[in-house]
Amino acid sequence: MSTASTVSDLVSQPYKYGFVSDIETEKIDKGLSEDVVRLISAKKNEPAFLLEFRLRAFRQWLKMEEPDWSTVSHPVIDYQSIIYYASPKQRDKKASLDEVDPKLLETFDKLGIPLSEQKRLSNVAVDAVFDSVSIATTYREKLAEHGVVFCSISEAVKDHPELIERYLGSVVPANDNYFTALNSAVFSDGSFVFIPKGVECPMELSTYFRINSEDTGQFERTLIVAEEGASVSYLEGCTAPMFDTNQLHAAVVELVTLDDATIKYSTVQNWYAGDENGKGGIYNFVTKRGQCRGDRSKISWTQVETGSAITWKYPSCVLLGADSVGEFYSVALTNNRQQADTGTKMIHVGPRSRSTIVSKGISAGHSSNSYRGLVQIGPKAVGAKNYSQCDSMLIGDQAAANTYPYIRSQQPDASVEHEASTCRISADQLFYLQSRGIGFEAAVSMMVSGFCRDVFNQLPMEFAAEADKLLALKLEGSVG
Amino acid sequence: MPPKRWPFSLFLPRFPVISPDADLLLEIVDLHARVEDQPILKGVNLTIRAGEIHAVMGRNGSGKSTLSKVLAGHPSYTVTAGSVRYRGQDLLELDPEQRARIGLFLGFQYPIEIPGVSNLEFLRVATNARRSELAKEDLDPFAFEDLVRERLEVVQMNPSFLERSVNEGFSGGEKKRNEILQMALLEPVVAILDETDSGLDIDALRIVAGGVNQLATADNATLLITHYQRLLDVITPDYVHVMAAGRILRTGGKELALELEERGYDWVDQELAVLEVA
Amino acid sequence: MVSASTSTTSSAQPMAANAWITEFLERLPAPSGDLEAVQWRGREALARQPLPSRRNEDWRFTDLGSLKALDPALLAQVEATEGTDPAAIPIADSADALPAPAAGTMRLRLDGRHDPLAGQTLPAGLTRLSGEELQQALGHTLARCGCEQHWPVEFNQASASHCLALRVSGSVAETLELVATASGESALLPIRVLLLLEEKASLKVLQVQLGSGSSLSSLVVEMHLGREAEVQHGLLAFGEGEACLLAHLAVEQEIESRFHSVVASRGWALARFEPRITQVEGAAHTDLKAIQVAQDHQLVDGHSRVEFLGPDGSLEQLHKAIVDGHGHSVFDGAVSVPRRAQRTNANQMSRNLLLSDQARIDTKPELEIVADDVRCTHGATVSRLQHDQLFYLQSRGIDAATASRLLKRGFCQEVLVDLPAAAASWQPLQRLLAEV
Repeated sequence: MSTASTVSDLVSQPYKYGFVSDIETEKIDKGLSEDVVRLISAKKNEPAFLLEFRLRAFRQWLKMEEPDWSTVSHPVIDYQSIIYYASPKQRDKKASLDEVDPKLLETFDKLGIPLSEQKRLSNVAVDAVFDSVSIATTYREKLAEHGVVFCSISEAVKDHPELIERYLGSVVPANDNYFTALNSAVFSDGSFVFIPKGVECPMELSTYFRINSEDTGQFERTLIVAEEGASVSYLEGCTAPMFDTNQLHAAVVELVTLDDATIKYSTVQNWYAGDENGKGGIYNFVTKRGQCRGDRSKISWTQVETGSAITWKYPSCVLLGADSVGEFYSVALTNNRQQADTGTKMIHVGPRSRSTIVSKGISAGHSSNSYRGLVQIGPKAVGAKNYSQCDSMLIGDQAAANTYPYIRSQQPDASVEHEASTCRISADQLFYLQSRGIGFEAAVSMMVSGFCRDVFNQLPMEFAAEADKLLALKLEGSVG
Repeated sequence: MPPKRWPFSLFLPRFPVISPDADLLLEIVDLHARVEDQPILKGVNLTIRAGEIHAVMGRNGSGKSTLSKVLAGHPSYTVTAGSVRYRGQDLLELDPEQRARIGLFLGFQYPIEIPGVSNLEFLRVATNARRSELAKEDLDPFAFEDLVRERLEVVQMNPSFLERSVNEGFSGGEKKRNEILQMALLEPVVAILDETDSGLDIDALRIVAGGVNQLATADNATLLITHYQRLLDVITPDYVHVMAAGRILRTGGKELALELEERGYDWVDQELAVLEVA
Repeated sequence: MVSASTSTTSSAQPMAANAWITEFLERLPAPSGDLEAVQWRGREALARQPLPSRRNEDWRFTDLGSLKALDPALLAQVEATEGTDPAAIPIADSADALPAPAAGTMRLRLDGRHDPLAGQTLPAGLTRLSGEELQQALGHTLARCGCEQHWPVEFNQASASHCLALRVSGSVAETLELVATASGESALLPIRVLLLLEEKASLKVLQVQLGSGSSLSSLVVEMHLGREAEVQHGLLAFGEGEACLLAHLAVEQEIESRFHSVVASRGWALARFEPRITQVEGAAHTDLKAIQVAQDHQLVDGHSRVEFLGPDGSLEQLHKAIVDGHGHSVFDGAVSVPRRAQRTNANQMSRNLLLSDQARIDTKPELEIVADDVRCTHGATVSRLQHDQLFYLQSRGIDAATASRLLKRGFCQEVLVDLPAAAASWQPLQRLLAEV
């Protein structure tokens, strides 16, 4: 049947964001040592507690080993050949966007993220991170009126050191795993969000990450804290140029919700995935975790993963508060030689905590797409509930779809339910749509998007169309 | 009220060959086709003109369903000889979706379930694909919803079906009504209905047949593929063709269907045997 | 004799495991008999790999404490009574407690020492494998299923001195019932069974494993199902006290064969069931059902793996557990569908009843699929008895205790219905649910 191969052709689309911006960059030398950690800290004029945090993490990292339990495989990473700090040369303090290098603004314009006053996305505040450094944050003043802090981590360290000291590393300890230790030692920037008690953030917040340098690792950190009764919706997007080499991206994201607070965290991940032979692309080794510390608090993760050579990431919720809620909605599309090992952990500690997992994996080409999840119901989680659904769609007979859902329950008055299925786009379905005048590409795209509908429905309105377009882009092209 | 007449002139410049006979819609000449290595159609000849209703009858395995799929361009079937001209244009060189857009419609014997894809969205995209071929403007979701609600009455369907996924969890009768609804929206020139009566109870059959009769006009044509007489009790054909072993064995008026009903298909075998010897 | 000192002491392995296995190996009688070569092989393997490590994903949830608590020196005396007259073995003692075989059942008592076929007339269709055939066939299915180096297998190979090996031709009317009873202080009962089903052969086989005291039963079964062969297999495993059971079932299925298996288990301090099914060219059907009950501090572990090496195969798997007290139930169900296994249809379901807040359930389906035209589903549920079901029964005048008993019966029955009919005399439902 020719359908499979033509469908495979469809998903092999050139990467749109693969350009390199010619921007003068200040880089430190390759390699990692205690001196490098101190240098990064010094460059950022950090307070002593943060240098101490970094050094502790670095010493722990030295003692740790790269994890090998996932299904991904890659050549050995030489951590001494990576540059741990790169920053576009510009004036340190950006009093206004007018002072930001126009080339940088142009880069973000090209990526569809206009930062200048006139062209800004309405109702979305954006923090733009270029290589290791936050270059601009829009709508800061308007947010400040509501008491909302939205700035780069570096600025937060200067302006709100007490918040950073209290929350940084409190959800994901530095020694949680190999990559969190590495990140904690060398993280350069990222976004910080603080929503004070009772405040509903008046607009969507968004961070856009761009890797530009070839041999630079990107180690950003995101920390979002929502106090009692606060709520916020946050979105991150990311792209990188096409290089033959692999770039390491080892980020850490920490979320904290207190009583009755809600954080909705959405990701549209479109790092460069490497070419059809698996050359180049980002290694995306990310640790994302939220703690629902308060009663009735809620954390919701939505991710659309389309890029990266390797994705290794499990956005998780630790449901400590009574009646707290965790959600995970995921679409992961892999093609060519891409490998994705992704899923979530829902750790139920508090009574009546509830969680929902909806995962949709689409594997094409020679790619491998694994869902790995853990639902753990602790002895005190009376009345806890989990529902999980993991569906895989295979395109072509060279792609792999694996599902590893672990369930552990120690509480009889809790219920855990898991369902999974595997399907493909059948030739009959395609023909049916075609016989109604719908073109081949549109038909495939319609079915993939229908397969992912439950997840797209969770994205903030402003970005749902974006995600659909991104998937359609990956599925668009000439038919056989 | 019969539906709107097609804006016929809009088509004409698009076709390289303009048939001298404007009434001639479909002309099948010596059509041979196979699935994998198995020859199924072995020389089908059939001409369909505007305003006509044709019925192709035959036993299971006679090739009648294959004929409908070959006409719609199903990728599992390979045409090995012969030609099909649709209003003077070579139909066989077109993709399935192009055939649909220029007005060929296949009502499936087993409509396909497509989980996740909303029926309403599907109907709108299909309708707009057809409309753009007719040089009509796209319908936005609101305008389309008005249209679809009006057409729902043709098949007496509950609007709640629009909210569900394409054919998913529909009963046999609901699937068939969804097919006729699509036909009502796409306003085809030639509609091929493959065993539309199978699996229908008598009420559903009446509704489906009522829909087909309503949609038939002097400018379009219908090709019914069926096994039984009962559909022809409610839709009166102008021509009945008996198919066997991949060929049309006999053609007659509606009385031929009654004859089949009375005598069964055994005489077909005898005639076929004579033919084989010859 | 294998010297344990040849094993390189891995720093990751606690000394206790090393010492335990060393003691066991040193006390085992010298390899001899039909299985001498196999015994050598098993002992060498154990010397290299003393006990499974919980760092190994396959053993992560399985605490081997109950096994290590057994006295290795006593276990090793497995064949101490070798050479005594079979008639003198007091099988009859416990036989009194056994139900009479059901009609149409051929019962064989397996004690790991004596030939169970001595003095028996096999029913039509069953023949004993010759020594030469045995040498050829033994281990073949284990290798096909990729588990010949698996620890419980090597442990059995190190200690078993007898194998019941039968060829099955045609349709065997009688049910073959294999009964093994282990009792006593750190007594080891190694049982090995090999069944070769010829093309179109069919057999009903019921295995009964009973364990008491601090005995350890080690079971390795190999079955080869030829084309269109069919096996209806049942395993009733009931233990008490400190008794442990390691049961390994390797099945090789050729085209159009059908394998149905039902495992019902309760009462072991530690029990591990390892069905490994390989459909060598696909196009076969596998039906796996299991119900396992754990209470007190018991651990019961079901580790299945089904591999489709060709197209058009199917699997229906239903695994159930009831856990009470401080019990711990584990289910790990792997299904592998490589590229050549197009049109596979595999369904797996794990249903668990968690009845106490000291108990624990770990369930882990694993689906690995590299073929696009397949239908694979799996699901898992963990909960206590459904409140609405209980309420429905209570609203019809049934008291809560009776209602909950009825629901538990129903929960088990869904699995037990597929046991060979001969199982009825063992009263599996009563054994599973007494006092739970």
